[in-house]
Amino acid sequence: MIAHGGLSPTAQAVLPILGVGSLLVAWQFLLPAAGVPAYIVPTPSAIFAVFAKSGPLLLGNFWPTAIEAIAGFTIGNFSAILLAIVFVHSRILQAAYFPVVLFFNTIPVLALSPIIILIFGLGMTPKIVIAAVICFFPTLINMIRGLDSATANEHELFRVLSSNRSELFWRLRLPRALPMLFSSLRIASATAVIGAIVGEWIGSDKGLGALIIQATFNYQSDRLYAAIVLSSLLSIGLFLVVVTVERKLIRY
Amino acid sequence: MGNAIHAAGLDVGYPGPHHPTTVLSGLDLDVEAGTFLSILGPSGCGKSTLLRVIADLIEPLAGEIRVLGETPRSVRSRRDVGFVFQDSTLLPWRTVRDNLRLPLQIGRGSLTRPIEDKTEELLALMSLSALADRFPHQLSGGQRQRAAIARALLGEPRLLLMDEPFGALDEITRDRLNDELLNLWRRTRTTILFVTHSIAEAVYLGERVIVLAANPGRVVADRDLQSVKQPGNRCSREDPVIVATMAGMRAALEAAS
Repeated sequence: MIAHGGLSPTAQAVLPILGVGSLLVAWQFLLPAAGVPAYIVPTPSAIFAVFAKSGPLLLGNFWPTAIEAIAGFTIGNFSAILLAIVFVHSRILQAAYFPVVLFFNTIPVLALSPIIILIFGLGMTPKIVIAAVICFFPTLINMIRGLDSATANEHELFRVLSSNRSELFWRLRLPRALPMLFSSLRIASATAVIGAIVGEWIGSDKGLGALIIQATFNYQSDRLYAAIVLSSLLSIGLFLVVVTVERKLIRY
Repeated sequence: MGNAIHAAGLDVGYPGPHHPTTVLSGLDLDVEAGTFLSILGPSGCGKSTLLRVIADLIEPLAGEIRVLGETPRSVRSRRDVGFVFQDSTLLPWRTVRDNLRLPLQIGRGSLTRPIEDKTEELLALMSLSALADRFPHQLSGGQRQRAAIARALLGEPRLLLMDEPFGALDEITRDRLNDELLNLWRRTRTTILFVTHSIAEAVYLGERVIVLAANPGRVVADRDLQSVKQPGNRCSREDPVIVATMAGMRAALEAAS
């Protein structure tokens, strides 16, 4: 076997598991032995025990964050895609409003969050808005570039075939844009979760963000780590959904 | 047979506020229907631009241009013109078969005649049947150009415009595709305008060769090759008369560069 630095397929499948396993074992036994206190870094087994013990509590806080992240992801990306379509079809609107969008992007989302919460209150809505805002800009940029990425010859081909605007969009611009769109959606699958959690930090009594804050103040570090693990699982889940859809749509 | 192309005093350029450029100036050209015309010229002489004016991709600044006796626009919207680009311009997300079918799927609004679905026939004609379900990146350069030609032929155009279609291919593949193209032309007698850098290719393919000069683009040489070729536009690349013709074209091209 020469591929991938001479590793056999079995080794390629087994080695990552061994790698993760070795780190977990080191974490479980070496960190306590080195005198790192459990209230700073609890052992993996203690974190796992929290899942068994406080499963309903964790799940009860997992779902609000999941809903906020998924709703924010959907709304933010969908509006970015729509605005990109408007911009590439009207250079006038793009010239007038793109600088405005650019300016809003320079405001850190963290600085914007208190205002969003002032406007939308303490429910799920402000978290969804923050998650949407955080997804919006990268997708807008990538989608505009993607929709404009057809070559001059491809445009000429469609003109020789007398295509109309909607044919040009559905059969050339959109398929051309998909690879770039999905590279930004993959990133957005992680940032949407960040947005939802940041929103919960600032004002919420439920969700993984709220749980992280409560657990920190109460020195329940095993519960804090369990909430972090769940947030990461949420991102991974969203990421896998995006990649699955991408594989279905982009087959070449 | 009438004229496929009639151009008189054709000026083509790009009007820029700071640098208006003239690409073609006062170009006169008449091409009889059914002709295989090779267009030779140095880089930047406007060979491709001429094809684009005929295909209604660029509008001339001045002068007259008639294609099949009509304006380029009405010919284009009736799907009477096929265009083959130097890069095959196959859409990478479509299989070969779906790329061929593109002309059936778009621009139907302006058609006045039905377009027959000859996809499978053209795949067979271009020896692509076995590759029909592959994506363009899985094909060789020659196979991609064959697919591009098949796609251009799908609407049975009366005029085929080819912009250095074999320019990026190796010599063996290029020679083979030249013969395939000639066979196709002999069968259909579609008017073909074939732009190329290669003197050998221009002479081997064309019944007639014109040479364009640059700055500004205009016709500086025009040779009818029917007298030096066998009937049916047949010749051998080694034939001394053909070799001498190539040398003559080289001189004309050098004078134009």
